[in-house]
Amino acid sequence: MSSTEERIRALVDANLQIGGRSEGQPMRLDLNIIDAGVSSADVVAFWRLVCEEFGLDIPAEEFAELLTPGDLIAYLDSRSG
Amino acid sequence: MSWLDRDEQQRRDRFIYGGARQRFTLCRAALRSVLCRELDCRNEHLAFKVSEHNKPSATVRGLPAPISFNVSHSGRHGLIALAPGGRVGVDVEERVPHPNLDELIAAVLGPNERNELAAAPRPHRLHLFFSLWTMKEALSKAHGMGLSMDVARFEIPQAMREGSPSGCFRFADTPEVAWRLHNISTEEFAAAVAHSPDRQ
Repeated sequence: MSSTEERIRALVDANLQIGGRSEGQPMRLDLNIIDAGVSSADVVAFWRLVCEEFGLDIPAEEFAELLTPGDLIAYLDSRSG
Repeated sequence: MSWLDRDEQQRRDRFIYGGARQRFTLCRAALRSVLCRELDCRNEHLAFKVSEHNKPSATVRGLPAPISFNVSHSGRHGLIALAPGGRVGVDVEERVPHPNLDELIAAVLGPNERNELAAAPRPHRLHLFFSLWTMKEALSKAHGMGLSMDVARFEIPQAMREGSPSGCFRFADTPEVAWRLHNISTEEFAAAVAHSPDRQ
C-alpha cells in the first residue's frame, strides 16, 4: 500500500496544473496551492478526488483550510489513525 | 510595484510562479485604481483586511470604507464588482474543457441541476456547467464563505437555470436575506454577480 504522501503526490501530478513546475520536478509539501495559481474549479475537483481516493467525506469547510499538500497529508493521516 | 502596500507585496512574493504573481499584481493594481476613484482617496491611504474565510474588505486611513467589492480572474479575463453597501461576490471562468468535469459536477451541482445537465445536448453541457458554477461561486463569495461553502447543497433558481439572466436567491439557513443574482456570461466566458444590501 502506498503512503498517504505518495497517493497525494500522484493525485496532484495527475490533476492539478501548477504553472511553472517543470516535468519531473518534485512537488513541495509546503506549497500553498492557491499561491501556486491553481484555480477554484481545480481545487473543488481535487477535493472530490481526494474524498474518492481515501474513501472519506471531508466537509468543504475543513478542506478549504488545508492549504498545502503537507496540511492535507497530516489531516488524512490523522483521520486514518 | 509601489502601488501595493507591504502586506500585498508580501502576499505577491509568496506566489512562487510568475503567471499567478503577475495576475495578482495586475488585479490588485486595477482594484486600487477603481477604489481610489470611487472613494476619492489616495492610494497610500487605502488598505485591505480579510475576514475569517479570506474575503477582503477595504479601509481608508484605518476606517472601514463605505463600499463593497469583489474580484475574480480566469485566464486573460478579470472582473471587479463594486456596490455602495451590503455584500457582493463575483466569479468569471473561461469556458475551457476541464479534465475532471465529472468530479466537478458531482462536487458543486444539486440533484436537479445534475439531471438537467445530463439531459442537455452534449456540446451545451460545458457552457451550462460554467454558468451554474459561476453563479454558485458568486453567491458563496458574496456570502463570505467562498470555497468553505458546500455549494452542492443549494440550487440556482429554476428560472435562471432555464435562461433568465437575473433572479432572487435565498439561502435555506438565512431566508430573510434576499440576494440579487445576475448571470452576465458571454459566448467567451461565464460570469456572475451576487449582491445583497444586508451586511449580515
